Amino acid sequence: MRPILLQGHERSLTQIKYTKDGDILFSCAKDQVICAWFSANGERLGTYHGHQGALWTVDIDPSTTLLASGAADNTVRLWDIRTGKCVKVWNFDTAVKRVDFNEDGTQLLAVTEKRMGFLGTIVVLDVKVDVEAEQSDEKALVITCDESKATVAAWSYLSRYIIAGHEDGSVSQYDGKTGELIYSTPAHEDGMQVTDLQMSSDRTYFITASKDKSAKLHSARDLTLLKTYPSDTPLNTAAITPKKPFVILGGGQAAMDVTTTGARQGKFEARFYHKVFEDEIGRVKGHFGPLNTVAVDPLGRGYASGGEDGYVRVHAFDRGYFDFG
Amino acid sequence: YDLEEEVDFSDLKEQYDVRLEQGLDAFVVADGLPIVPKESKPKLIKFLTKQLNKAGKVKEDGFVMPCNKQGMTEGYAFIEYHTPQQAIAATKQLHGTAIDKKHTFAINKLTDIERYGREGRIDDDYQPPYTPDFQEKEHLRWWLGDPNSRDQFVMLRGDNLGVFWNKKKDPPEQIIDRGNWTESHIMWSPLGTYLATMHSKGVQLWGGPSWTRQTRFPHPLVNLIEFSPGEKYITTWSFKPIEVAEDDPFLSPDEEGKNYIIWDVATGRVLRSFHMHDLPTPLESESGQPVKKKIPWPAFKWSSDDKYIARMLEGESISVYELPKMTQLDKKAIKIEGVTDFEWAPALPQRDSVKTYEQLFCFWTPEIGSNPAKVGLMSIPSKEIVRTRNLFNVTDAKLHWQSQAAYVCVKVDRHSKSKKSLATNLEIFRVREKGVPVEVVDSIKDTVINFAWEPKGDRFVLITTAEVVITTAVPPKTAVSFFCPEKIKGAGVGNFKHIQTIEKKNSNGIYWSPKGRFVVVGTVHSQQSFDLDFWDLDFEGEKPESEKDLTANLKHMNTADHYGVTDVDWDPTGRYVFSTASMWKHTMESGYHLYDFKGELLREEHIDKFKQLSWRPRPPTLLSKEEQKTIRKNLREYSKDFEEQDRIEEDKEKGAIVDERRRVLNEWLAWREREEEELKAD
Amino acid sequence: QEHQETLARRAIIEKKKELASDALQKKQKEEENRKRMIAQQRQEAEQLRLTEEHKERERKRMKDEQDRIRRENNEKELSDLLKKGINIGDVDVKDLDSNQLRLLRISQLEKEKNDLFKNLRVTGKRIDHLERAFRKEEIKLLPKDYEA
Repeated sequence: MRPILLQGHERSLTQIKYTKDGDILFSCAKDQVICAWFSANGERLGTYHGHQGALWTVDIDPSTTLLASGAADNTVRLWDIRTGKCVKVWNFDTAVKRVDFNEDGTQLLAVTEKRMGFLGTIVVLDVKVDVEAEQSDEKALVITCDESKATVAAWSYLSRYIIAGHEDGSVSQYDGKTGELIYSTPAHEDGMQVTDLQMSSDRTYFITASKDKSAKLHSARDLTLLKTYPSDTPLNTAAITPKKPFVILGGGQAAMDVTTTGARQGKFEARFYHKVFEDEIGRVKGHFGPLNTVAVDPLGRGYASGGEDGYVRVHAFDRGYFDFG
Repeated sequence: YDLEEEVDFSDLKEQYDVRLEQGLDAFVVADGLPIVPKESKPKLIKFLTKQLNKAGKVKEDGFVMPCNKQGMTEGYAFIEYHTPQQAIAATKQLHGTAIDKKHTFAINKLTDIERYGREGRIDDDYQPPYTPDFQEKEHLRWWLGDPNSRDQFVMLRGDNLGVFWNKKKDPPEQIIDRGNWTESHIMWSPLGTYLATMHSKGVQLWGGPSWTRQTRFPHPLVNLIEFSPGEKYITTWSFKPIEVAEDDPFLSPDEEGKNYIIWDVATGRVLRSFHMHDLPTPLESESGQPVKKKIPWPAFKWSSDDKYIARMLEGESISVYELPKMTQLDKKAIKIEGVTDFEWAPALPQRDSVKTYEQLFCFWTPEIGSNPAKVGLMSIPSKEIVRTRNLFNVTDAKLHWQSQAAYVCVKVDRHSKSKKSLATNLEIFRVREKGVPVEVVDSIKDTVINFAWEPKGDRFVLITTAEVVITTAVPPKTAVSFFCPEKIKGAGVGNFKHIQTIEKKNSNGIYWSPKGRFVVVGTVHSQQSFDLDFWDLDFEGEKPESEKDLTANLKHMNTADHYGVTDVDWDPTGRYVFSTASMWKHTMESGYHLYDFKGELLREEHIDKFKQLSWRPRPPTLLSKEEQKTIRKNLREYSKDFEEQDRIEEDKEKGAIVDERRRVLNEWLAWREREEEELKAD
Repeated sequence: QEHQETLARRAIIEKKKELASDALQKKQKEEENRKRMIAQQRQEAEQLRLTEEHKERERKRMKDEQDRIRRENNEKELSDLLKKGINIGDVDVKDLDSNQLRLLRISQLEKEKNDLFKNLRVTGKRIDHLERAFRKEEIKLLPKDYEA
């Protein structure tokens, strides 16, 4: 499994996303630029310039028409994927940490940061999947997180629920239409931030990664804990592989917490676990710093990881992978 | 287990509570006395008074010894001392001591007897003795009866202290786990009976299948402890001198300002307490910095039979105390001018042409004026000097006893006349042989940094280094050398010969299997190097021609790697080895590796805040020599059973794993199916 | 007059003679030089040939020596391997090159490792079984120990 190394960012990666057919990969980093790449050969298609602060998040609508992004410049932007033109800017009071399109691409959620008298929120925006259309300024829904700020969020199946992970380690389920809090559960250790939340392909269950060194699989319907994947390092990201029953976790001790140097200390590896049996199957080395984000090809052909080291590594699964499990 | 009860000394407090009411505090009850006819009573009283006066002064007419209707004494007496303090002293010093060959004093304060006797605790009518304590007492050696022949170990990680069964490759089976069970470290007693936990209020001992508290030793701010080899006694030490409050329920004014207490484990009583010797004034190093002298530990050293404990006053003398009275042998310290170190033989030395075996200790004194340095062996209690040997140009000496006291190796660091070049001599005293001959192993040019005898054997390993650079991060290059006696005809042990030296290592630690034969030589406490070499000294394979005259067949079995390793611990049976990395030493990956004797990794676990791991020691086998021999002879039969057992176990385990996987998978598939159906319905 | 002419002719003849002699001399000198040159060249060529020849001999000697050493090493190693009981089949020992030998050596090391493993496994089993046998018998004595 020889990876393709994508060297286009000058600072640490924050999120990677595949398009629905898995052919194109979008990456964003703290260097304020979004890059698009062919996943098959690592060739760069283009870049999206416009944000004035570190980029935290990107997402692509299911028809691969629009690209949404959120950044530390307190904006969410919508881009014409083909031309690279910014077609809409929504302004907020604080940084935007996560964006996520719903299943049909008609709504976009955005998680905003808590800062200086502003509580963290989850905002829903109506989107017209048309690069020519006039997008509404109106916020369709605002969920205010007064308990513990949301750090990540995603839409469930049929856009029925919004599932959010919080700074205190809890996971909550909101009604996708009314924004009403339905249920909340202390999924991870108290005070250990949920760092990532990714849905299964049919959005009926999801995986959370946390600083408490574990990742967990939950039902989107009722937040039932399905599986637990323990590791030995704080986790930043977790993804569910389609086709094969695996999950991929990534993390590593942040540089300032590492007392002695050397990659050995950091545990900068992508870890594969069996989704159903919960045991670790293998690790993939390569990054020089913690893994901040992993994404899997929706067609199950490979995965990509983005690191604190500024690199994206795109891996195509080899034969052995498909024979296994 | 109740946390509230964690360090609850209230019952002990009640027991110790000194009541100065009723004016009965100067009275003691002496039991266990000889039973004599009325006529002999005065003689007995006179005899006993003499003994009782050792602790204080018995009042005139303060001796009451009742007689029964048959005109015989009843084996007990009431004694009144002049002061309550003397009475307390009597219970401490004389309780449990021998009156004559057949009788032993049982001396208790009358007020205690009163206390236990009143409130209807004693019926007027005789009742068969009901001793719930005894009947409910658990078997403290319960763990020896594990039907699977497994061993236990204790593990401290974070604030959790747990005891586990070793299950080899499988996760260890937890027996018990308690939070905040100890406030610092832990220690097993030498025969494995007790687990000692450390608290600011003192030491607690735990044992039995339900891990109940067996004893407490309320030594405030205790830092370190040491059991006697037979677990009968324990030494506790605190750097801070003990402060005894006026109404201290446990400690008497005797303990005020002391640092050491010697306790009786069975009763939990103080036997005697001691001040710390003043540390010698700090020496100045070449750069003019004062060299901090380490506090010697253990300062009090036990003889192998729990009968004596001794402490050295550096440069002057050694004081030997007899247990359990804790009185000094012949009432005075043994003067040994210049004495620098001493070590008891770890077993009763069986010396040729000596009829009654005595305990033995080895000591050494440096050159004083024109007198040479000396190594001596002294027999206790006779104080006879069994052997001395003069040595010249000695910089330092270290004493290494072999576990059965067959040899003591004195590692002598010597300088030349010009005080420049250093070399090391090994002077091996063959303690069992007549006249204690000394064999000198050729001078070794490099500095010997570690030396270890094979337990119950006569081979040894040493590590040398040419460079002594302490301050660099890079561990110095070392060489590991193996020695064994050469073969001789007939009985006896041949001269020690060099087997092999492995150069260019970084090794610094030698860890012999407690059963001998296998040894791990490794690099610990290093940032760069962390290899563990597993050696067999009796390899059952082809032997190199060049070593055919040696009583060893050395074979390197395996090299293991444990990043950040700080300690290595063999199980008491010599079948398994733990290597551990403790957070007390560094913040790198903490946790353990478990190997079998040949260095095959069975298990590894990274554990956050891992601190300490220690195998539970085992007492010597209950089997007689003959029984052991029979078992050895029939081993083939046993083997058949064990092979079968292991096979069944393995099949069962495999089956269980497959079944479990199948169950988990079916559960998952069923859940998915339900979800998909509901999704369709939505 | 005639005398004058004769004298003059003589002088011319003398001169011619002289010239002729000079020319001869020059020619002879040139001839000599040429001969010397050829001789020198020949000598140099010979020298070169000798050196080459020597070098060639030396090279051959070295190669023979190396071959010998290699052969000896191979033979020694082979005999070592044979002594250790490795089976090389019907292969002619002389045909083995060092590459094949290396493979043989690797397989030998592999074998030694396996033997060591097997050997120690037996040892381990015995140690384990002995301990378990002791314990099995010891359990029977525990109740008595409790009473004591």
